[in-house]
Amino acid sequence: MSLEYNLFFSVAKMKSITILDSGFEKELKLQIAPELRAGFPSPAEEYLHDSLDFNRDLIKHPEATFYGRVCGDSMIEAGINDGDIAVIDKSREPHNGSIVVAFINNEFTIKYLDTTHKDEGYIELRPANPKYKPIRIDQTDDFEVWGVVVYTIKPWN
Amino acid sequence: MNYFAVVDCDNCYVSCERVFRPDLNGKPVVVLSNNDGCVVARSNEAKKLGIKAGTPYFKLSQQFPDQKIAVFSSNYELYGDLTGRVMAIIQQEAPDYFRYSTDEAFVILRGMENVDLKVWGEQLHKTIRQRVGIPVSIGIAPTKTLAKMASHYAKHYAGYNHCCLIDDDEKRKKALKLYPIDEVWGIGRRYAARLENLGIHTAFDFAERNREWINATFNKVVVLRTWRELNGEDCVPNDEPAKKKSICVSRSFPGMINDIDQLKTYIANYAARCSEKLRKQNTLASVVGVFLGTNPFREDLEQYHTFGEVNLLTPSNSSIVILKKAMEALEKIYRPGLQYKRAGVIVLSMESGGGIQTNFIDFDAERFEKMKELDKVLDRLNKVNGTETVILGAQQFMGRNSKGKATQFADAIKHDFKSPNYTTRWSDIIELR
Repeated sequence: MSLEYNLFFSVAKMKSITILDSGFEKELKLQIAPELRAGFPSPAEEYLHDSLDFNRDLIKHPEATFYGRVCGDSMIEAGINDGDIAVIDKSREPHNGSIVVAFINNEFTIKYLDTTHKDEGYIELRPANPKYKPIRIDQTDDFEVWGVVVYTIKPWN
Repeated sequence: MNYFAVVDCDNCYVSCERVFRPDLNGKPVVVLSNNDGCVVARSNEAKKLGIKAGTPYFKLSQQFPDQKIAVFSSNYELYGDLTGRVMAIIQQEAPDYFRYSTDEAFVILRGMENVDLKVWGEQLHKTIRQRVGIPVSIGIAPTKTLAKMASHYAKHYAGYNHCCLIDDDEKRKKALKLYPIDEVWGIGRRYAARLENLGIHTAFDFAERNREWINATFNKVVVLRTWRELNGEDCVPNDEPAKKKSICVSRSFPGMINDIDQLKTYIANYAARCSEKLRKQNTLASVVGVFLGTNPFREDLEQYHTFGEVNLLTPSNSSIVILKKAMEALEKIYRPGLQYKRAGVIVLSMESGGGIQTNFIDFDAERFEKMKELDKVLDRLNKVNGTETVILGAQQFMGRNSKGKATQFADAIKHDFKSPNYTTRWSDIIELR
């Protein structure tokens, strides 16, 4: 699998983004900066740093990022369950083995992209569940990967 | 010399809907106006079928009984989010840009002497297409008016690969020759009609006249400016397209209306939209105007087209204030016994929301602050929960009881074919099978 993990390591220079659901505040604000007081400055002030923020740090291309809700168990062996939220980045180029979102038969589907047989004229969307068969796509011209899944968010409780 | 680029989303609302409905690519799609009144956006396939902008929804099935046409109510929340993404990309890729309308931006291509602008434009199209899923057309030229014209070519001729660059005189002349005068940016319908009468049919006919003739015939700065721009001289100031001097919200009614109470409900809604827009761009209105018209196609009925305005002593963008003033303006111009077909609200003379000039006789600081708070809450509620979640009673007023108290209210605005808010509500995100 050539799933891309580089995202985890390149969090330094990103801009903050606007969360798309307007019910939330723009970003989590855990303000660490203490008020300035007279007297000796706190030694901790030198180490002031913005709090970690998923939206700022993990979402590389906010303008290309969309969300989808997983329905069903076709990707269960990849650890993707019914009800998980997939974070989809449309700006990423899909590779062989990427988990992608594609639009097929009038619905969005989440599967592994398998381009092993591209030269033979077809590619496959592979489920991660033996119950389901891979979807074979012959006319690769018409087919388009809608976006690449970069994270899934899973509620545990 | 600087170049300018116009970046324009193709059939914007339709393209937004198609991002989440790829099955509708290549098929006729239309988007209806607020309240599902009439067609406001059409896919190229719908245009090809002969569907005209402004066609009332109920006539669609009559006129095109055998066609499968995908119909959407307008989903401004979705369009706002997606076009915001488009603008964000333009901002990243362009040295200097300003948004001109919902779906259009001007880019000032400063410091790009060593860049192949055609390649730059094609790449920008590709980036936006991939990241957001919306196709844009890009016109690049030495003046804004020419860039606008170039974007038209980019949109209508596949050969340009979404980007048309006018960078020499030959290309400029060729583009002008094929461009009808009434489509030139800055030439209003009124001037276009006059020019047509003078035998000027294309942008080229116009640009080739000499300066003296233009001045003698029109004696208008704007007309001369357009002429200069078409001849390659940059003279529309960079901030002008964005600086709006008035906001107007107007619609035709589904039927005809003669009752003032009913008119008031419409006017109240237009006024509320205007004040929302004012608050969004942080400006204030000092004049609120209302216009009202009968149906010009019903020559058998008495015709009446009128405009009335009310001055605000203290400029405002409060929904309550604007609404009240709009009602006053309506009362001034309303004549009973006529069948009205169209009405609108226009707010003028904006000043910045920061430093306001108050009129001391009229000004009540405490009340002003309270109104501001109220509007903030109103905007917030409507933003979080959806447009028009909380409105002023006048916006849905339908009638009063025998004691004159308002008791009847209309149902919420009609959006029968609205798509989900895929990008702004967790409940509406796409499902992945």
